[in-house]
Amino acid sequence: MATSNELIRVEHIRKEFNDGEVKALNDCNLTVHKGEVVAIIGPSGSGKSTLLRCLNLLETPTAGKVIFDGVDITDTKVDLDLHRRKMGMVFQHFNLFPNMTVKKNITLAPVTLKLKTQAEADGLAMELLERIGLSEKAETYPAMLSGGQKQRIAIVRALAMEPEVMLFDEPTSALDPEMVGEVLDLMRTLAQNGMTMVVVTHEMGFAREVADRVIFMDSGAIVEENTPAELFDHPQNPRTQAFLSKVL
Amino acid sequence: MWWSNLFADMSPASFFNFSFLPKYGVFFIQGIEYTLLLAVVSVALAVIPALLLALMRLSRHKFIKCISGAYIAVFRSTPLLVQLSIIYFGLFGLIPIPRYSLFGFVDLSRFIPGVVALALNSSAYVAEIFRAGILAVDAGQMEAARSLGLSQWSGMKLVVLPQAIKNVLPALANEVITMVKESSICSMLGMAELMFGAKAVASSTYITLAPYTLAALIYFCINYPASKAIEAIERRMRRGDKQ
Repeated sequence: MATSNELIRVEHIRKEFNDGEVKALNDCNLTVHKGEVVAIIGPSGSGKSTLLRCLNLLETPTAGKVIFDGVDITDTKVDLDLHRRKMGMVFQHFNLFPNMTVKKNITLAPVTLKLKTQAEADGLAMELLERIGLSEKAETYPAMLSGGQKQRIAIVRALAMEPEVMLFDEPTSALDPEMVGEVLDLMRTLAQNGMTMVVVTHEMGFAREVADRVIFMDSGAIVEENTPAELFDHPQNPRTQAFLSKVL
Repeated sequence: MWWSNLFADMSPASFFNFSFLPKYGVFFIQGIEYTLLLAVVSVALAVIPALLLALMRLSRHKFIKCISGAYIAVFRSTPLLVQLSIIYFGLFGLIPIPRYSLFGFVDLSRFIPGVVALALNSSAYVAEIFRAGILAVDAGQMEAARSLGLSQWSGMKLVVLPQAIKNVLPALANEVITMVKESSICSMLGMAELMFGAKAVASSTYITLAPYTLAALIYFCINYPASKAIEAIERRMRRGDKQ
């Protein structure tokens, strides 16, 4: 793909915790293009989630740059909130706001940030809920929903900001097995509609089927990246081979 | 023995010699009202400063954090009576308050310094309650708010604080109960609350013990049911969360 097409570029990112005691990321470089679906896989503690959280600066990198839409968002002079609006994020534990109805969860940010009137936001929320078959849940509170429903609503909440990219942090890891399918289906639909996505996942089947590119991480470094077919069938690095032999 | 006659006139009945009641009952009624007024008003006044102190304490700026930390340390590490005296004689020695009586028995020139002292003291404790309440809200809530592009302040105001305040309501009610008891110290500065009423009755009737027994009974009858009610509400709130 042409470089003009790039949406996120991560340059030499390092992330340390506890004053350098824990090195979570070590010199990671990554480019995400518009419309691309990138899956990040790897063992627990390999830095997958940290890398993802560095993309919208939920974690501030110790060193390195994150360039989004041509702007270096690690620059402290940049208004980060303005850029975060365009990067939707979905969390392992959903993080819906328990004190608000489903509809309010979805409309809170667009209305607070004055991107939409309450009526417009309500309309969009209902339309999105309709699309995932949960419109009758608009006035219920998150506590009354199943895990799969919560996660699909969390995805819709991020989509209501009309983001340019969606970041998924192990979106199905906290779900009961029978609910994983409905969330993956929604993510698949998103991908087919051309949404740019970065997905940290343990669902190898999903990564292979939906991703355009798969990244394998281990010990805070990007060890290997390739198309899913190549990476899963002909892994080059011994660490990738060892990991895949355990999970496939 | 030399001491065998010392408590000879202290029959068990003297604990409950409430013969003063018909004549002096009004001291206790007004005392209860004064005490409840002190407790409720001072905690209510403490809420906003306490919230501010808690937010300052959680701030990333070291200086702001220190100011709040120092305030909390000073008010939690010195006796309330000392604080009360300094505020009453010092601060309100400089600020004159008109001698106006509320409801006929609440003398504002004493009530206002008392309430201010209790509120300043209480805000240090309530600040810690708020801080714990804010920290108890899952960090993922703020992360979700920030990931949607909301500012730190919006996330705090719209997402974290409403949840934190709901969580600390029982603790806040408990603070009112603490204040009902602690405010008895205001009797030292002539505020006509319950303890002051008991003292006044004791000295004018020469019945030394029973007025205090009655005061204790009244304090107990206010605080015990109230704390039980708070416990019940807390239990129900917890059940609601699990659903």
